[in-house]
Amino acid sequence: MNIPIYPLIALLLFPGGIFLLGWGLAYEFIDRKLVARFQNRIGPRWFQPLADWVKLLAKEEIIPDGVHKGLFLALPVVALAGALTAALYAPIAGWIPSFSFRGDLVVALYLLSMMTLCIGVAGANTMDRFSILGATRALTQLFSYEAPFLLAMLGPAIAAGSWQISEVNTFAHANLWMILNQPIGFLIAIIGLMGKLELPPFDAPEAETEIVSGALTEYSGRGLALFKIGRNVELVVGLTLVSAFYLGGLSNPLEFILKTLALLLLTAGLQSLFARLRIDQTVGMWWRIGAILALVQLLAILAGQAIRGLL
Amino acid sequence: MTEETGSPRKFIVPIGPQHPALKEPGHFEFTVDGEIVTGASVRLGYVHRGIEKGCEQRSWVQDIYLLERICGICSHSHATAFVLGVEKLAKVTVPPRAQAMRTLFLELERVHSHLLWLGVAAHEGGFDTLFMYSWRDRETVMDILENLSGNRVNYSANILGGVKYDLDQKQADEIRKGIDYLEERTKYYLNVVTTDETFLGRTRNIGTMSYDQAVALDAIGPTARASGLARDVRVDSPYAAYADFPVNLVTETQCDLVGRFVVRIRELFESYRLIREIIEHMPGGELTTRVPRRIPEGEAISRVEAPRGELFYFLKSNGSDKPERVKVRTPSLCNWASVTHLAIGHNLADMPMMLAGIDPCFSCNDRSVTVRKGGESQVWSWEELRRYGIEYYK
Repeated sequence: MNIPIYPLIALLLFPGGIFLLGWGLAYEFIDRKLVARFQNRIGPRWFQPLADWVKLLAKEEIIPDGVHKGLFLALPVVALAGALTAALYAPIAGWIPSFSFRGDLVVALYLLSMMTLCIGVAGANTMDRFSILGATRALTQLFSYEAPFLLAMLGPAIAAGSWQISEVNTFAHANLWMILNQPIGFLIAIIGLMGKLELPPFDAPEAETEIVSGALTEYSGRGLALFKIGRNVELVVGLTLVSAFYLGGLSNPLEFILKTLALLLLTAGLQSLFARLRIDQTVGMWWRIGAILALVQLLAILAGQAIRGLL
Repeated sequence: MTEETGSPRKFIVPIGPQHPALKEPGHFEFTVDGEIVTGASVRLGYVHRGIEKGCEQRSWVQDIYLLERICGICSHSHATAFVLGVEKLAKVTVPPRAQAMRTLFLELERVHSHLLWLGVAAHEGGFDTLFMYSWRDRETVMDILENLSGNRVNYSANILGGVKYDLDQKQADEIRKGIDYLEERTKYYLNVVTTDETFLGRTRNIGTMSYDQAVALDAIGPTARASGLARDVRVDSPYAAYADFPVNLVTETQCDLVGRFVVRIRELFESYRLIREIIEHMPGGELTTRVPRRIPEGEAISRVEAPRGELFYFLKSNGSDKPERVKVRTPSLCNWASVTHLAIGHNLADMPMMLAGIDPCFSCNDRSVTVRKGGESQVWSWEELRRYGIEYYK
């Protein structure tokens, strides 16, 4: 940490920057391929996400009439920056997080929410009706999954007695996998992650058969490319956090690959299993079932700790 | 609903003419209050092709091929409705084997249309896995059709006075094998649409149309049968070989989208049964009979139960080798009213599925309508109509 070059490497090459972008594209490919195979399709070739991304970057960026131009251009950058910054606090590739301080879990979780907020503002910024509807839905969805997801991520932190991601990771590595003693929390965390990433069946904010492309309908070229890669980065960071917390921590690259891929397999399976939920069904599900289950899990953890304290 | 859309305070979501939900161009305007639809209107006419007028310029034989292209999915239904009408005008009796072959094609077409619809409807609800699966299995019936006629879509099996294609033992065995496989798969799909909770969440109590509403809105086809309205041309006035191979009418009383799914899937089982029976008891004899080139003067009405509902043909002959008038009323046209009426009060998210629920076909119900205030009637020639079309879209 004394070498001044290190923060630059961490930001630009590994684990942030280039590595994370490449890894995000790779995971997008694996996700798309898995869903395609589950749906009895062939699926894309390995370089397809990269090709899509390069193509989008090269295309003309159309700025529609009636938008706040600065906001329109800045939002994709902010969204990507949020996701990339969150990665610095996560044990990417089983490495010790590049930066770490007490309470960085909360910061990382809020940085992950930047994406959805940016998408919501981006949709509300344009005049397009589909964008406005998509933005409304994206923000509605944010308010429904955010609290249960947060509670689910706090479960392991409370068990570890620290709100520092690296310490929770170490604790998880040393103890029983928390998926076993906090199964509800794991379920909510993984489903919440799918809601965050607007993956099916939580893709109402961008349901193509209803509102075309949702909040991002008016985005093209570079802006769309940044939003897309930002989502990929968020996928990697989200999978890293959930597997670090619930699947016994990440201490080396092999564990990182195996555990995140196992989670990716699970989310791909869930994606192809269900019909799209309506936005009112999503909200109802999270608040009526998700939030209560998350609270029950939290109470169970607190009760368990109290009992252990008494013994 | 049009007076509402004029008000500036309403939030209108336009769907179409170009929209990912629509496989063909149509235009819908949904007035929404948040996510709730408060008004709906439909505007069609983007794929008007002037086929009815075109028929008057072509001979009776050429018209078969033109009319087959009205719809890419129920092409055989259109051709059958037309040739049945012409044969009625010409007063010829078609050999029973030809009628049985027509019926076989009609039922195979219903199978492929219903499987296609199942996939599209599932896709509209965001259930892409079911979409991919049902379209994969639909390939089986497409292969059967290709094996029989050489074509996957426009089979052109009909000619005036009979059919072109015969069925041999090898083909019959292949059909049996394909139908056995499809029956297995269809059982699975029936299970999925009636038990999958997320899917039921999108279909249960959505677009509920009571029996009385179905009667009042003049719903036809599976859409009506899902509301308990027993209306099926195959049963009410059997044509082709349906008198020899009677159909058991399938109705459901759920009245909502679940009912529309279940009705169509149960109709698939009925079609499988019919196909097996036709192959088993295929009458022998000739495939064609002679039909005069000039059709005697007269008028005829011909009705066929297309996969989407009653297909109605009116034919008028002036004794020449060309029809005087061909009027087509396609089933989708009759069901639009039910969509715009039932949409109100539902979520915007339900609209694609409700639209898909009637199995709409846009190109077949597009007509050119000229609204003129008073004045005398006007007859346009083909050339004038063509020029008008070119000018209109310039």
